[in-house]
Amino acid sequence: MATSLFPSATAAVEPPFLEWRTRLVRQRWRQVATGGTIALLVAITAWRCQVNLASFLLGIDKGVPIFGLFFPPDWASLPSMLKPMLVTLVLAMIATILGIVLSVPCALGASSNLAPTPIRLILRFFIALERGLPEVVQILILVAVFGLGVIPALIALSLSSIGMLAKLLADAIEEIDPNMLEAVAGTGATTIQVIRYAIIPHILPALLANGLFRFEFNVRAGVILGAIGGGGIGYIMRSDMLTLDYQAACMATLLTLSMVFATERLSDFLRARILDGGQMRRGRQRRSIAGAAAQ
Amino acid sequence: MTPAMPNSALPSRKLLTSALSLVATLALLLALCWYLDLTPSSFEMDGSFLFDLTQQFFPPRFSLYWNHSSLLWLSVLDTLSMAFLATVCGGAIAMALAFLAASNTTPHPVVRLAVRSLLVMQRSIPQLIVVLVLLLAVGIGPFAAVLTLLIGSVGMFGKFFADAIEQVDKGTSESVQSLGSTKLQTIRYAILPQVLPSFVANLFYAFDNNLRAAIPLGVFGGGGIGFQLAVAHDLLHYHDVMAYTLLIIVMIAVMERVSDWVRRGIITQPASSHA
Repeated sequence: MATSLFPSATAAVEPPFLEWRTRLVRQRWRQVATGGTIALLVAITAWRCQVNLASFLLGIDKGVPIFGLFFPPDWASLPSMLKPMLVTLVLAMIATILGIVLSVPCALGASSNLAPTPIRLILRFFIALERGLPEVVQILILVAVFGLGVIPALIALSLSSIGMLAKLLADAIEEIDPNMLEAVAGTGATTIQVIRYAIIPHILPALLANGLFRFEFNVRAGVILGAIGGGGIGYIMRSDMLTLDYQAACMATLLTLSMVFATERLSDFLRARILDGGQMRRGRQRRSIAGAAAQ
Repeated sequence: MTPAMPNSALPSRKLLTSALSLVATLALLLALCWYLDLTPSSFEMDGSFLFDLTQQFFPPRFSLYWNHSSLLWLSVLDTLSMAFLATVCGGAIAMALAFLAASNTTPHPVVRLAVRSLLVMQRSIPQLIVVLVLLLAVGIGPFAAVLTLLIGSVGMFGKFFADAIEQVDKGTSESVQSLGSTKLQTIRYAILPQVLPSFVANLFYAFDNNLRAAIPLGVFGGGGIGFQLAVAHDLLHYHDVMAYTLLIIVMIAVMERVSDWVRRGIITQPASSHA
């Protein structure tokens, strides 16, 4: 032991080393405990979910021939699918626009620096309810009220768009620098004018960017809601699957994929333009300052 | 000496442009609605019918929670299990793929490209398609839903993790490499400690997401509370539907709170352990 590289490590009484060692041991124990808990939970959940590797392998075996049934896609059904696809798109668009427009008053009423407490609490409760309620649950109830068709899907998507956008917006409004609001109010502006000239310009870019993100989401969710009874391309896809018309289902799938992909690109592009608008101006300014310094 | 101002930058012109584009968009939208027969008359409904329906929905059948309730609570457990299993397995796979997809840890640029495009594909395929195909392949039940959620989680978080790995501080890995570490050792001792807290925090977010997504998958035949809800709806047991709905709201709200709380604990933990 005399040749040990770290003589002080063998003398276990040295306080700093002792402390480090106990900390290491404790850390190791914590790791073991975390790992064990996760392994136990995985085992329980796998049992509940009937995870079965044999059925998975069998599924692959069965799946390959089934997958063959999907090809070639049924191009003849393409023209009849364009209108349902348009329905899904327009549905997402209207729901997004309604969501953006109606989320502004909701957010103004739900932010602590503007609204009186009772109104704020009611609106916050409404927003939390909307966010906690999956669209699918909403549509199952709405279908009972309005019958099958696009209207239940439209209402469900609009309500949840309002919920999400109003939550984000209210949080953004609450983070606005109070000095800015006071400065505008100090010029004698009324509350409406403060909202118009201090708050709206501040939140508009974020609102539009979030709205575009929500549009993407609404297209995807619109497909699912359509399958449950809201019409559109999702309904076509599911009914083709259920009637074992796999080639038509494949066509619907291809259409859905291209629609989702196109809306994603579009929303990315527009969002980058909205968010870059400010940055580009600032960049140009910086460049001009740098140019002045060089001269 | 006034700077030349293009006409298009005048406030009046800007207002005109934005007003015109707004009107054009609205007109296009209205035309599309008209073409697709989306008219206000489709909102019409019978008042007496609505009253009748309200009576069918309310009050929710709360007795479902304690009378013969083992099916109900097991289905809640199933939904939670689906989300949990998909998050843990999906997170593990996403983490492994992320190291292949990040430019600073990938074994070869071709591998990176292949993995990245796989992740893009997994992200952009709508869950409805995946679950309909998987229900055919592995049969009706929670297993198909777990696989669907897993594919979505891998796509979403693989990209996210890969981006996080690409943004780590280069100095740390270089200093570890200068001690003669292999590639795996660099990942273990320089990169992993930097990205692990954000990985784990994001997994809780993924769990939230998966829990919400598990309910529609259940409706399509994936089991869990979503399936019970769909069955009650199809049987026109609207009192039961309301009871399930309330349970779902509470379940999602509670899990959101829990995951928020744990996530905040994980993100602030490194700072407090240094003190």
